[in-house]
Amino acid sequence: MKSYLSLASKYLTAHKKKTRLVIISVALSVALVTGIFSMLDFFLQFEKIQQIHEYGNYHLGVKDATNEEKQAITSRMDVKNAGTWISFRNGNLNGKECRLAAVDQKFAPNMQITLLEGRYPVAENEMILEAWAAENLHLKVGDVAKITFAGNTEKKFVISGICSDYGNTKAKGMPGVYLSIAGANEVNAEKSTGLLIEFKDGININDVQKAIQSSLKLADSRIIRNEYLLSVMGYGKSNTVIGLYSTGAVLFCIILIAGVMMIYNTFNISVMERVQQFGLLRCIGASRSQIKKLVKREGLHITLRAIPIGVLAGMLLAFLCCGILKYYNRSLFGEMPLFNFSIAGTIAGIAIGVFTVFIASSRPAKKAARVSPVNAATGSNEIKISKKKKQGRLTKMFHVEVAMGINNAVVKKKTLFLMSCSIAISIVLFLGFQVFVDFMHSSLKTTKPYTPDISLTSEQGLSNSLYEKLSDLSGIKKVYGRMFGYVDATFHASRLTDAYKQIIGNVQVEDNGLFIPPEKSWLISYDKNQLNWAKTDLIEGELSEEKLNVKHGIIAVAHPLRNGVSIETAALQLGDKVYIQTPDGTKEMTVMAILRTVPFNDSVPSLTTFITTEKLFTELTGESTIRIIDIQLDSSGQEQTVSEIKGMLDDSIAFYDQRQKNAEINGYFLTMAVFIYGFVAVIALISVLNIVNTMNTSVASKTRYLGVMRAVGMSGAQLDKMVLVEALTYSLTGCIVGCIMGIALQKVLIYNFLPRLFTIWKFPYVQIVLILILILLVTVISIISPLKRIKAWGIAEIIS
Amino acid sequence: MMDILITENLCKTYGTGETKVDALKNASFSVAKGEFVAVVGPSGSGKSTLLNLLGALDTPTSGKVFLDGKDIFTMKEKDLSVFRRRNIGFIFQAYNLVPELNVEENIILPLLLDYRKPDKSYIDELLDVLGLAERKHHLPNQLSGGQQQRVAIGRALATRPAIILADEPTGNLDTKNSRDVVSLMKLSVERYHQTLIMITHNQSYTSFADRVLSVEDGVVTDLEGVRK
Ligand SMILES: Nc1ncnc2c1ncn2[C@@H]1O[C@H](COP(=O)(O)OP(=O)(O)OP(=O)(O)O)[C@@H](O)[C@H]1O
Ligand SMILES: [Mg+2]
Repeated sequence: MKSYLSLASKYLTAHKKKTRLVIISVALSVALVTGIFSMLDFFLQFEKIQQIHEYGNYHLGVKDATNEEKQAITSRMDVKNAGTWISFRNGNLNGKECRLAAVDQKFAPNMQITLLEGRYPVAENEMILEAWAAENLHLKVGDVAKITFAGNTEKKFVISGICSDYGNTKAKGMPGVYLSIAGANEVNAEKSTGLLIEFKDGININDVQKAIQSSLKLADSRIIRNEYLLSVMGYGKSNTVIGLYSTGAVLFCIILIAGVMMIYNTFNISVMERVQQFGLLRCIGASRSQIKKLVKREGLHITLRAIPIGVLAGMLLAFLCCGILKYYNRSLFGEMPLFNFSIAGTIAGIAIGVFTVFIASSRPAKKAARVSPVNAATGSNEIKISKKKKQGRLTKMFHVEVAMGINNAVVKKKTLFLMSCSIAISIVLFLGFQVFVDFMHSSLKTTKPYTPDISLTSEQGLSNSLYEKLSDLSGIKKVYGRMFGYVDATFHASRLTDAYKQIIGNVQVEDNGLFIPPEKSWLISYDKNQLNWAKTDLIEGELSEEKLNVKHGIIAVAHPLRNGVSIETAALQLGDKVYIQTPDGTKEMTVMAILRTVPFNDSVPSLTTFITTEKLFTELTGESTIRIIDIQLDSSGQEQTVSEIKGMLDDSIAFYDQRQKNAEINGYFLTMAVFIYGFVAVIALISVLNIVNTMNTSVASKTRYLGVMRAVGMSGAQLDKMVLVEALTYSLTGCIVGCIMGIALQKVLIYNFLPRLFTIWKFPYVQIVLILILILLVTVISIISPLKRIKAWGIAEIIS
Repeated sequence: MMDILITENLCKTYGTGETKVDALKNASFSVAKGEFVAVVGPSGSGKSTLLNLLGALDTPTSGKVFLDGKDIFTMKEKDLSVFRRRNIGFIFQAYNLVPELNVEENIILPLLLDYRKPDKSYIDELLDVLGLAERKHHLPNQLSGGQQQRVAIGRALATRPAIILADEPTGNLDTKNSRDVVSLMKLSVERYHQTLIMITHNQSYTSFADRVLSVEDGVVTDLEGVRK
C-alpha cells in the first residue's frame, strides 16, 4: 500500500461481488442514457428521411421570387441547392383530374422525382407523369396528352418521360404531372411560383431565414417553410411540434433523473453499509477530507469500469432499433449505415455517468466523513428510532417476520426514499411514453382493421350487382360499402361548441331550443362489419345494428374532420335527440353512441358527421345505392385481382389504389413504433435490471444481520418472508408513488402539451395491472438468488 | 442421568492446502441434562468452533452431534431452526444484536419468531436481573459493551431453552458484573433444569462449573480433576 488512497482499489477488489453490483448499476444508468439519446438521434435521422420523402427536400421557399432575388439567394454560401417550383391550382390530364407542377431539373431529386424512363422535360411542350397514371391512361413515352388548365386553357404536351409512383397521389387517383419550367411559364393559368431552397448541413435555418428576409426585404407572407422537415431538424415553429418537443424534453429530464437516482441509490447503499469501516479509519487518524477523497476515488474506479460497458450496451440497443428499421424498410432507409454511431448519445451517456457518480459519491462521502469515529466504530448510527415502540404496533398486526420486514424498510428512510424513487421514476417514464404509444395507435389509420387497399366511388352510386360480383371475386378478403349523403339535422343549440359558432358566426335558435342548421350534416351508413370496427373509436354508448334499428338510433362523432382538420363542432351526449329533415318530414333520432372520430375526410364542409345503419339511412334519405366500396385484398396475387377489378368498372367509377400510401404510412408507423417501443423497452429493461440489482445489493449488505436472525432461530421460510416483505415495501411504495405521478404526468402531457392531438385520457387500468404484476414478479425474482447465496453459507461463517 | 448432548468424532477443518486449519479434531464427549460445563483453552484453540457446531450454526467436516437424542445435522433446515429457537440459547462472543430493535425487542425476538406471546412478568424479571430495566427502550448502539452483552444473555434466556451455549459471555464485564451474570445464568440453569456450556478465560468461573472441558489445538479433553 503506497498511500491510503489505494485502500479504495483494495476495498473494491476485496468485495468483488459488491463492486460488481455497483458497476452494473452505474453501467445500466449510462446504458439507459446513451441508449435513449442515441435512439433519439437516430430517430431524428430516420424521421428526416421520412419527411423528405413525404414533403420534399427543401427547407425554405420564397414565393414569386424575382430574378434578382433568385440570383441573390442561389449565390449564397450556405445554399446547397435551389430551384424554381411552379404548381397549378388544378388541371386535367386527358379528362382526369391531376396534380400539375413544374420544377427545375437540378431540384427534381429534392422533390423526390425519379425518372424511370425517357428524359426530363425541357422543351415548352414536354411533360412527364407517374408510372401508375401512364399505365392507367394507356400513355407511353412519345405520346401526346392533352392538359386542361384552370380557366379551361387547353394545351397539348409530348410525354418525354415516366417518373416513379408517389403514394399520396396514387391513393387519391390523381396523376402527378410535371411540365418543364419553360412550359409552365408559358401557361396562363392560376399558379403559384416559388424558389425552393435546400441549405447546407449545419446551418441554422431560422437565422438564415431572418438574414435573407432582412437583406432582400421579404415579408413573412412570402416565405414558405417546410415545417415538417424543419421540425425534425429542431427549427420547428408549429405548436403541435413544439408540444411534442416539450413532451420529449420532459420525458428526457425524467430519464436523466432516473439515471442519477439509480447511481445515487447504489452508492448510498454501498457507502452507508461501510460507515463502520470509515469510522475505523477516522479512529486511526484519517481526516474528513481523506475519507471524502477515498470515497471519491472509489467512485472514479467504478466510473472507469462502468462507463465503457454502459456506453457499449446503450449503443447496442440503438443499433438494434436501426437494424429492425433497415430490415423492414430497405427502400427508404437503405442508405442509413447500420452501425451508425451517435456522437450525441455517447457524449450524453459519458457525461451523465461521470457527473452522476461525482454527485452520487460526494454526498455519501460527506456523510461518511461526518461520521463521528466513536459512533461509527461501535455500530451503525444511521438508525434513529424514537423511543416510541413502532415495532410493538406492527407485531400486533403481523407476524414478527412481516413486521420486521416492514420495519427494516421504513427505518432506513433514505434507502426507502431512493429505492422507491428509482422504481417510481421507471413507472412514470413508462406511463409517460404510453401517451406517445396511444397517440400513434389512434392517429395513424393503417393500423386499423378497416383500412381499404382499394376504394371505388361513383357520383351516380355503385350498383348492387357490382358489389356482389366483387364479393365473389377470388383474391379479395373483404368488401364493404357505404352510403352517404347530406341532410339537414338539428339538435339543442346548447350542444353546439364555441369553436363551431366562431367559424359559422350567428346561429339562429328557435323557441323550442333547436337551431336552424346553417350547414348540412354528413350522414354515413355502416354495415355490421364497420360498426364492429368502429368499436376501437367508441367513447360512449353501444354499437349494435339491431338496437340502432329498433330505437331509431344515430351515432355522433366527437371530432369529425372539417376540411381535413379534426374539430369538435357539437358536444352531443348519449340520449340527445337529433331531428333530421327527410323527404317524408322531420324524423326524431336518438344519439346512442359517440365515436371519437371517423376515418374519412369530406371535401364539403359540414356541420357534423352522423353514422347510422343502412336500413335507417335508406329511411332517412330515401336512397339505397352504395356510394363507396372499400376492398381489402388478400396478400398474394394482388396484381391479378386488381386488374380483374379494373375490368369490371366503367368510366363513371373512380378507382383509388391506396396500397402504396398505406405501405408508406405503415412504414412511418413502424419508424415511430420501433423507436417509441424501443424507448419503453429500454426503460422497462433497465428498470427491471435496476430493481434486481438494488435488491441484490440491499440483501448482500445485510448478510450479517440475516445470519444473526438465523442464529437466533429464524427459519428459512421466515427469513424469506422477512426479506420479501422488505423488498415489497420498497417496490410497492415506489409503485404507488410512480402510478400516481405517472397518471398526473399523462394528464399534464395530454391536456397541457399535446392538446392538438385530441387523445382522450383514459385511466390506464391495463398498464397499471401490468406494472403491478411485473414489479411483484421482479421483486420476487430479485431476492431469490441473494437469499440462496446467503443460505448456502454457514451461519457461523457469516456472523463471526 | 440422561445425556442431553452427545458428540461423536466431531472434526472441523477450515480451508485447504496452505491455509488449511484443523480447528477441531475428533471431539467426542457427552453432557448430561442440567450440567454446567465450562470450556477453557488458549485463544485460537477451537472453542468457538466447537460451540458453533454444537449449536448447528456451522456444519462439521465429519462427525455427529446428538441433541436430545436427535442427530442435528440430518435435520431439515425448517425443523432445525424451530428446534434451535426452542431448545438452544446462544450467546455470541460478538453480541450480534439486531441494531434496529431496542433492548426489549431484542430479548423477546426468539419468542416472536416462534409466534409465542412473551411472558411479560418473566421478561421484566429478566430485564431487572440483567440490570436493563432502565434501558429497555434503548437501541443496541446506545448501550455500553457490557450492557449489550447482557442483552445478548437475556435473549438467550428468554425462551428458557434446554441448552445455553455461551461464548465468553463475561468477556466485556467487570468482575462484579461478571459474577452477577454468571450467577444469574447459574440460577436460571438450576431453576429451569437447563444445561449450560460456557466458554470462559476466567479460571475462577470454572469453580462454578460441574465439569470443565479443555480445548487445546483442536483437541477436547475432559478435565475430570477440576471437578469438585
Ligand atoms: N472461518 C474460518 N476460516 C478459517 N479458519 C478459521 C475460521 N474460523 C476459525 N478459524 C481458525 O480456527 C481456529 C479456531 O478458531 P476459534 O474461533 O474456534 O478459536 P477460539 O478458541 O474461539 O479462540 P478465541 O478464544 O480467541 O475466541 C483458529 O486458528 C482460527 O484461525
Ligand atoms: Mg472464540
